[in-house]
Amino acid sequence: MIPPPPTPSVVESLPVLVRADNALPVIDAEEFARLYEANCGLLVSLAVRKFQVPFGDAEGLAHEVFLSYIKRRDEIRELHKWMIGAICNASRHYWRQHSRNIDQLDIEAASTHADPISAHVTDWLTARIAAGEALAGLTPRYRHILRLRYYEGYSVPEIAEELGVTAKYAQKLVTKCLRRAEEFFNASKPGKEK
Amino acid sequence: MKHADDVEHLAECATCRQRFAGTIPFQTGERLARKREFAAAAMRLDRERGDASDVVARVLRETPVAEWPRLADRPALRNNAALEQLSDEVRKRLHRCPTEALAIAKLATGVAELIPSGIYPPLVLAQMRANAWKDRASALRYLARYDEALNAVAIGEQHLAPFAAVEHDRAIVRMVKGMVFLQTSRFDEARPILAECRRVFAEHHDSRRHAHAGIAEGSVLYEMSRYGEAQDIFTGVLDDAIATGDIESQARVHNNLGYCLTHLGDYARANIHFSEAIAKFTDLGFFAEVPRTERGAARVLIGRGQADAGLAYLRAARRDFGSAGLIEEAGFCALSIAALLVECGESAEARALTQNVIDEFTAARLDERAIAAVIRLRDDIDADGATAETVRTVHAFVESLRDEVCGVAN
Repeated sequence: MIPPPPTPSVVESLPVLVRADNALPVIDAEEFARLYEANCGLLVSLAVRKFQVPFGDAEGLAHEVFLSYIKRRDEIRELHKWMIGAICNASRHYWRQHSRNIDQLDIEAASTHADPISAHVTDWLTARIAAGEALAGLTPRYRHILRLRYYEGYSVPEIAEELGVTAKYAQKLVTKCLRRAEEFFNASKPGKEK
Repeated sequence: MKHADDVEHLAECATCRQRFAGTIPFQTGERLARKREFAAAAMRLDRERGDASDVVARVLRETPVAEWPRLADRPALRNNAALEQLSDEVRKRLHRCPTEALAIAKLATGVAELIPSGIYPPLVLAQMRANAWKDRASALRYLARYDEALNAVAIGEQHLAPFAAVEHDRAIVRMVKGMVFLQTSRFDEARPILAECRRVFAEHHDSRRHAHAGIAEGSVLYEMSRYGEAQDIFTGVLDDAIATGDIESQARVHNNLGYCLTHLGDYARANIHFSEAIAKFTDLGFFAEVPRTERGAARVLIGRGQADAGLAYLRAARRDFGSAGLIEEAGFCALSIAALLVECGESAEARALTQNVIDEFTAARLDERAIAAVIRLRDDIDADGATAETVRTVHAFVESLRDEVCGVAN
């Protein structure tokens, strides 16, 4: 009885972002070269540090971003934002493509080799367990002090400020905590009576 | 400002960019060669743009449409600047004359495929070819030749496939695919494509295309009757469009929010959004969009039983179509109003309205079969034999005559 509701309007064409009277700012070859120099390091760094793309491949990706920029230059409003977006997307695409080329793991062959991650586990596992037990034996305050000093990287004056004590007393506390931890550590070593 | 290494901050802060970039050594020799290649290619494209002036518009003007395919042989067109101009010509004609747009897009793909490798870096050539195929896909979509449009998209994607750093181009091409899926009711396939395009556009800070992809994704959800989710997306797009000052997108999103809220039963807010859409289209000077929005609002409100609000919009749409000289459209609105009036027993007003339509159609020398149908309707109302269904049947018949004419034109 009632006509069906129409489809909501969708923008049909995709106009260019900015094309001010078809005139691009005139840039000479030196300026293009400067643009490359000024931004190439950033793009390579992003690919390497944020996405772990191997350095040589990251250089290639950064170069591709510059080449793709040329064609879109007239519609890019914010160069750095566009380039950073482009290198992030290029790096993701790189890994999508790269992961397809990784050979399937041969289970039988793999079982005859030691896993490199756990190959030397016996060298440190005992000490790690003992250290864990030693820390567990300390009071929460002592654990907090050792954590600040050796895990968070606080200096002695910073620990003093955190605890509201003098620096001299903070140094004493750290030494005391270490000594207590050492006692627990020695007691928890294999072959020793607790 | 707090300094950090996250990409959002790096995009804003020159100091952090410098610090972040400084941690990686660089391969001087290879980078120098690449820098030279980049500068040379950029200079070439700029030089071509400067030399081309209006070569394409002139050639198209001077050549009969039937001979356009032969223009691919002209050396003056075998460069990036000419292809960009061809792309502009396609875009200008998409709404107005999609068959001509397709003819130009076919010429552009022919030209792009004939450009020999070696003139441009392979990536740039791939972008040029992909863009030409994207335009061809768009024109085919406008002509509802969807399978061919999807084939054209696939060729565009193939050109870009070997390159990692063309995700922006890839999204622009794939956006057409998403739109084809939307128009062919393949919503489950359309949505992930449009969502991915939206993400890529956002990351490239391409705010206009980001808004368009959002509107398309919201429309998919609307078509799937997921009005709440569609409303959420449209609201986000509206916020972005307000932030970037994109008035056209704001107008379209207000209209779409009106549809969603009507379905969600929030008529008061729906009305506010329709009014905003109409005001913005008026500000933009999109005078044909104003009555279309009013007619759309009327239909959806009437469909949800809000006859009074719907009738008000229909009357406004009739008035505005008439002012814009769109007599046929104004007549369709009048027939929709007449159907409602007959349903409410207001036969006298319905009769007067149909007489007005007869006068307007006659003055505009519209199809005589349409005029005869409306005269018959008026007589039926006079004889008290017309129902709302009769009016709607006449409406559908007159509309089919118009579609027949459009079909011949295409």
